[in-house]
Amino acid sequence: MIELRQVWKRFGTRIALHPFDLVVRGGETVALVGPNGAGKSTALRILAGAVQASGGSVATGGEVAYLPQRLGVPPTTVVADLAALVAAARDVDPKVVRKALVFMGLEQRLDASLRDLSGGERQRVMLTLATIGNVGALLLDEPSISLDIEGAEDVRTAIASAGDRGAAVLFASHHLHDVAALADRIVLLVEGRVVAHGSLAELAAAAGVPFHTGAGGGLVDPPIERIYRVLVRRSRTLGPARAA
Amino acid sequence: MTAALLRFEWAAARKGRTAPLFAAGFAVASVAIALVGLSASGALAVQGFARTSISLLQLILWVVPLLALLIGAAAGDECYELEYIAALPLTRFEIVFSRWIAWLGALGAALCIGLGAAGVVIGVFAGMADGWRYLGLVALALLLLSAALAIGMAIGVWARDRGRALAFAIVAWCVLVVGVDLLAIGLLAILPAGAPSWPVSLLLLLDPIDLARVLGLGLFSANEIAGPTGAALRAVMGGWGSLLLSAGLVAWTALPLAIATRTFRRRDL
Repeated sequence: MIELRQVWKRFGTRIALHPFDLVVRGGETVALVGPNGAGKSTALRILAGAVQASGGSVATGGEVAYLPQRLGVPPTTVVADLAALVAAARDVDPKVVRKALVFMGLEQRLDASLRDLSGGERQRVMLTLATIGNVGALLLDEPSISLDIEGAEDVRTAIASAGDRGAAVLFASHHLHDVAALADRIVLLVEGRVVAHGSLAELAAAAGVPFHTGAGGGLVDPPIERIYRVLVRRSRTLGPARAA
Repeated sequence: MTAALLRFEWAAARKGRTAPLFAAGFAVASVAIALVGLSASGALAVQGFARTSISLLQLILWVVPLLALLIGAAAGDECYELEYIAALPLTRFEIVFSRWIAWLGALGAALCIGLGAAGVVIGVFAGMADGWRYLGLVALALLLLSAALAIGMAIGVWARDRGRALAFAIVAWCVLVVGVDLLAIGLLAILPAGAPSWPVSLLLLLDPIDLARVLGLGLFSANEIAGPTGAALRAVMGGWGSLLLSAGLVAWTALPLAIATRTFRRRDL
């Protein structure tokens, strides 16, 4: 479970995140979307403990796993050393961690340093280690960034599988098709304010974008990019405070 | 958990190029000093650990703090890059402490290799007399390394920028190596004759390099070259000065580490 109550953050004189409420229950996947500088990473970093909120309260159930946008460890770190640390931190048998890395096709790279891996390999390592163990809250900041089609598919699988295992998943992404495919709810942030929050169908209705519902209740070919553009444009026209 | 983090940081410190380069450089410099000292006398039998160690002490007092301050500053600044690790169930103290201890282990081992190489040369050519004093010198070098590394980490955590951290580390080295002595000389010049010398002794406690210098010279009973602050301290403290000086160096390790942890705990990554 992830819970943010009236959480806000100021950097110097700039308010990066206005008071913000969000609850993500176990097994639920919520996506944070919005233009650059909207406050998505700030919200995730507050939850991960990398940044202290200027006000409000934060609570997470179970262990928190976090995949930051930047590497988050020295680039000279050796994969096997990081795997050993994560295994100890999460109280997982190191063999299980190794097996997970091997399963992701990283067997030959265990003794390599992160700086010697390709961008895709590096992200696979970090994602595999982030999702290992009994994670209660999974926080991912732009997990598909700079990944090829296979890598992006790995990310989608990891998110879906964490949700299936009962973790509360909160991820920030600019890949709107991933968001449409994975998220139960979407939070749209603009200039640090929540301007829309709900399921894709609710956001489509709020944006006045027509959509078709399939047999299972989901949207058929959801026009998420159009929904996003309409809501962001509206918030910029009205100002994020009024749009919210 | 701390043990796992220590293993992680130790692996990182050990696998880098810094420690082997430090070991090789220090070994070459130490052996060179030992050999030059031995050949200058022309009488190898009378040149032992004691006299060569005075020259090695000077090398330790200049080189060890400089490298430790620079490496500590870089390690302290790098704490802000550990966003992934900080999200694991670890405290900020554990992060700072494990970095310090890993680097202390790696550089300490390098220092022991360097001084060990010089020790072998001295032992082979000049005999083992005063060997225990030489071991004292190694222990002193480790104490100084520990303090300078902690100060460097505090500077790095405070500066939170690699360039600024390294610049401040160099300034700190200049102040500690000569700045405090210049201040002591100035103080002695303005103090009236017969005035108590405790202000100068107090000043010494503010400088870990002077603490180490006086401790080192005390090891080899070289009072005449202890410097103005060292001379004042030996006069004031008498026999129990060594303990106080060692405690001072330990405090110079603990206090900067506490400051580094407090600063790091209060800041965003």
